[in-house]
Amino acid sequence: MPQWVKEDMGATSLAFDCDAELMLRVREGDGASFALLLEKYRVSVAHFLYRMVQDQPVAEELAQEVFLRVYKSRESYEPTAKFTTWLYRIATHLALNWLRDEKNERGQERLDEVAEDGPVREVADRTPSVEHQMVRQVKLEEVRKAVAALPDKQRAAVLMHKYEEMDYSQIAKVLSCSESAVKSLLFRAYETLRVRLAHMA
Amino acid sequence: MNCPIKTQENREWLLEYSAGRLDRERTMMIEQHVEACPDCARFVEEQRVVWDALGQWESPDLSADFDRRLYQRIDQAQPSSWLAAFLRPFRPFWRPMVPVAAMCLLIVAGVMLHTPTAGVNPVHSRVESVEPEQVERTLDDLQMLRELSLTPAQEANTSQPM
Repeated sequence: MPQWVKEDMGATSLAFDCDAELMLRVREGDGASFALLLEKYRVSVAHFLYRMVQDQPVAEELAQEVFLRVYKSRESYEPTAKFTTWLYRIATHLALNWLRDEKNERGQERLDEVAEDGPVREVADRTPSVEHQMVRQVKLEEVRKAVAALPDKQRAAVLMHKYEEMDYSQIAKVLSCSESAVKSLLFRAYETLRVRLAHMA
Repeated sequence: MNCPIKTQENREWLLEYSAGRLDRERTMMIEQHVEACPDCARFVEEQRVVWDALGQWESPDLSADFDRRLYQRIDQAQPSSWLAAFLRPFRPFWRPMVPVAAMCLLIVAGVMLHTPTAGVNPVHSRVESVEPEQVERTLDDLQMLRELSLTPAQEANTSQPM
């Protein structure tokens, strides 16, 4: 990990040891340790998957699959990398596969359907701040569409960088590429987002 | 410092600075540079807009029965035989013993293969051990029978050439 990134190194390494230790206990048949890992990462994995596939039922299904695979792989688990790297590698793999299959089946039309029937129409509350809420919903919709328009790997890199606060080396391990490739992915992705979201200043 | 945008050196510092994740020393370096570089200043400004916009994007809550459904799937994926259920608590103890047990089995198998056994082919060995005596006795018996029971006529017949 680069020294210049303002991260709590002690907390990170402690978390690594703790998670790996928990997973080793799961390997020995300790269900309570699995419950702890599930409690700790359930929400972040599900949110990551939601932002990747932008479909809540699908994201939940994929999140279940992630933890199911973690449990099934417990006997072969070796703490060779950070637990979260392993966890997000599974999640990213599932999300990228789903996106590939989805593109093959339905293309881009699904996003348009959701955009028409989604959160924008749900704002039906006639409160004094309704205009403010609608503006906010429109902005969020633009953010969502801008992220959805990114190539899958760029999107995964941005989501891990922004929301999971992963450093470049960890993102590289999750995506099975070099750190310089991750930097390149991130710069291209943020460049696209800067253009698309410039009017939100 | 060199301009990160023009030289492509340490471009990531600009990203981390915009996100507020850069350490103090490098933050001061970038701040000094940004004050004098309009390109980097614009980059930081635009990147902060993106960062803030992404920060407003919240995900929906998980279903209340997420864990229940997951554990249901885990139960379905478990081996359901009574033997597996019986052995599960002992797994931590017997797992390390598997290589030792396999080695013992190999040794026992090797010993059994190289030990001569009496009952491998009893008919064959018995025949080998009694055959000369038996043949000798049989010839003697035949000779005796021939001497005792054959009539002169039969003896004549038997002595005729075929």
